[in-house]
Amino acid sequence: MSSVLKLAGVTKAYGTLNALDGIDLSLPNDSYVSLLGPSGSGKTTLLRVIAGFEQPDLGTVIFKGQRIETVPPHRRDIGFVFQNFALFPHLSVSRNIAFGLENRAENSVTDPDIVQARVKEMIALVGLSGLEDRGVGQISGGQRQRVALARTLVTEPSLVLLDEPLGALDANLRARVRSELRLIRERCGVTFLHVTGSESEALAMGDMVLVLDSGRIAQAADADTIYNRPKSLSVASFLNCYNLFEGRLAGESFLSPYGAFPLGDQMQFRDDRTGYAIRYDRVAIRPAEVPAADDEVRLEATFVADEYSGAAINSFFSLDDGRVFEVESHLSQSMPPACTPQSRYTLVWKRRDALVYA
Amino acid sequence: MSISATTAETETTVEPVKKESSKRLWLLAPGVIWMLLFLVTPILMMIYVSFWTQTTFKITPDLTIKSWVTFFTTDTYLSALWTTVRIWLIVLASTLVVGYPAALYVGLFVKNKTIQTALLVLCVIPFWTSFLIRVLAWRPMLGKEGAINLILQGLGIINQPIEVLLFSELSVIIGMTQIYCVFMVGPIAFMMGRIDQSVIEAAQDLGAGFWRIFRTIILPLTMPGVVVGAIFVSVMVLGEFATAAALSGRKVNLLGNIIVTQVGSLKWAFAAVVGVVLTVLMGVVVAALLRVVDLRKEL
Repeated sequence: MSSVLKLAGVTKAYGTLNALDGIDLSLPNDSYVSLLGPSGSGKTTLLRVIAGFEQPDLGTVIFKGQRIETVPPHRRDIGFVFQNFALFPHLSVSRNIAFGLENRAENSVTDPDIVQARVKEMIALVGLSGLEDRGVGQISGGQRQRVALARTLVTEPSLVLLDEPLGALDANLRARVRSELRLIRERCGVTFLHVTGSESEALAMGDMVLVLDSGRIAQAADADTIYNRPKSLSVASFLNCYNLFEGRLAGESFLSPYGAFPLGDQMQFRDDRTGYAIRYDRVAIRPAEVPAADDEVRLEATFVADEYSGAAINSFFSLDDGRVFEVESHLSQSMPPACTPQSRYTLVWKRRDALVYA
Repeated sequence: MSISATTAETETTVEPVKKESSKRLWLLAPGVIWMLLFLVTPILMMIYVSFWTQTTFKITPDLTIKSWVTFFTTDTYLSALWTTVRIWLIVLASTLVVGYPAALYVGLFVKNKTIQTALLVLCVIPFWTSFLIRVLAWRPMLGKEGAINLILQGLGIINQPIEVLLFSELSVIIGMTQIYCVFMVGPIAFMMGRIDQSVIEAAQDLGAGFWRIFRTIILPLTMPGVVVGAIFVSVMVLGEFATAAALSGRKVNLLGNIIVTQVGSLKWAFAAVVGVVLTVLMGVVVAALLRVVDLRKEL
C-alpha cells in the first residue's frame, strides 16, 4: 500500500524540552490510523507539525510525494478536526460546512449551487439533516462534532487529523460516534489520523495503531500486536492491562523485588530497561499456601478490593511493599473465588504468558 | 403521600419567594433615585426651558418657540450643527482607521497575555495627564513654529511652515483622534482577545488565506467591539467643546461651543434649544449604531 504521509526524523523542541524527538512514521492510503500517547507525549505537537501550525526544527514531512515543511497550512490539503471543534460561532451549521469550499485560496467553488449541493450531501452523510440553519451554539456536543467533521470532509482532504475527537463527548455518545467515524471514513476513502489518550479507543478504532512515547514512535502495528506483544515496557504501561515489574535476569529466572519468577517459553523483547509484564486477565486467584504447577509462576498478595463491571471482575491485591497488583477475571470463563479483604491469596500465571524485556 | 407532601411544601414556599424578590428591588432604589434627580429631571427641565421667553437681560417662563425658530433659521447655528456632524464622522472614521489595526495587533498577534495587558495600559498612559494639558500640548507641536514644522523645515522637506496644521479643522481632528482613539482600541481589542485561536487555525486549515479569514471571521466577530467603541467615541465627540476651543482658534464652532457661549451670556433658553438638539442627535446616533449589531446577543 502506498503511503499518503511520511515523516522522517521530525524534531521539535520548546526551550530545552524535546516535544518531538525524531519521529519516523508512514501512514498508508485509505486507512484508519490511531495514535496513542499519554498527555505530554507530544501528540498535539505532532498533529500541529503535520497540519502546518508549527514548523519542525529538523526532519522532513512528505505528503503525497511532496515535501511540505514550509508550505503554509492553508495550502496543505490536510484536514484538522480540533478537540474543541473550533466552529465559527457566528455562522450557521450549513455556513460552517460551506466555509472551506467558498473561501479556500486554491480552487475555491464560486458557484453557489454547487456549494449548496455538496454541503447538502455532506450534511446527509454525517446525519445532520434538518439542522442546516441552526446556529452552532444551538446544537448538542455530538452534533457539533459532526459539523466539525463535515466542515473538514467537504473540502475532500487526502488526510484528516483528529485531535482527541471524542474527548469532549460523554461516554454514551462516544461509543456511537466511534463506529460512525469509521463508517464515514470508509465512505470517503481518506486516511484518518486519530489522536487519543485512551488505549481502548486507540485499539478499537485503528487499522494501525501508533504508540507515542516521549516524542518518539515507540511501536507501530495493528491493534492485536500492540495489545498482545507491546514492544517495550512503556508501551505495555500505556495499555493499562499489564502488571509490570522491574528487576534483572539471572539464569532461568527474572529477579523481581517480590522474589524470583522462573522463566520458560515466554516472549522476550529488546528494551533499555529490564522488566517483566503479565496481563491482568492471565492471572488466576487461588487460596494461600497452594503450590504452583511446573509451568506456572506464583506470587502471594493481600486482597484489597474488587470492581464489578458486568462481564468481568477486577480484583486489586496489595504486594508486600504496598504496590497494587490487578487481576481481571472474565465471568464467562470462571467465577473467581469470593475474596475476603485483608486475607492472603496466591496469584498464579503460566510462564509462557509473561513478557520479558531486557 | 410523599408527592402531596412536596406539593404542600412548594405552595408554602411561593409566598416568601415573592416577598424576597420585591425586597431585591430595593437594590435598584439608589440608582433610580439618583438618575431621576440628576438625569431625567434636568433633561425635562432643559426641554421646558427651551420654550421660555428670552430677552437680552432676563428670561421668563412664558412659553414660546422663538428660540427654536432662531436656531433653525440662523446660518451660524445650522452650520455649527453641520460642522459637529462632519467632525464627528471624520473623527469616528480616523479613530477606526488608527484603532482597528492596533487592536488587531494587540488582541490577536500578541500571544503573551502580560505583554497584551502592558500594551493596552500603554494606550491609557496619556490619560494620566489632565484633559486640558493633553489638548494644549498640541499647540507647540502643530504651531507655525511648532515641532512638526521645525523638523520638516530642518529636513528640507518644506520651505515655509504649514499653517493649516494649527487653528484649523485639521488640528481639531488630529487632537480629537489622539484623545479618543483609545476608546476605540479597548473594546475592539477585548473582542479580538475573545476569538478562540483554534477558530482562526480551523479557517486556515480549511484553506483560507489571511484576508479571507479577516473578512469572513475576524471582522464579523469583532463588530460588537467596533460598535461599542463607536458609541464611546460618538458620545464624547458630539458633546465636545474644549478641543475645538483650544485648537481651532475659534474657527470651528461645534454645538458644544455654542452652548458654552450662550450660557456665558446668560441666554439660557437658547442654550437649552442647542442642548435638546444635541441630546436628540446623540440618541439617534446611538440607536443607529445599536441597530448594526445585537449587542445583547453578542456580549
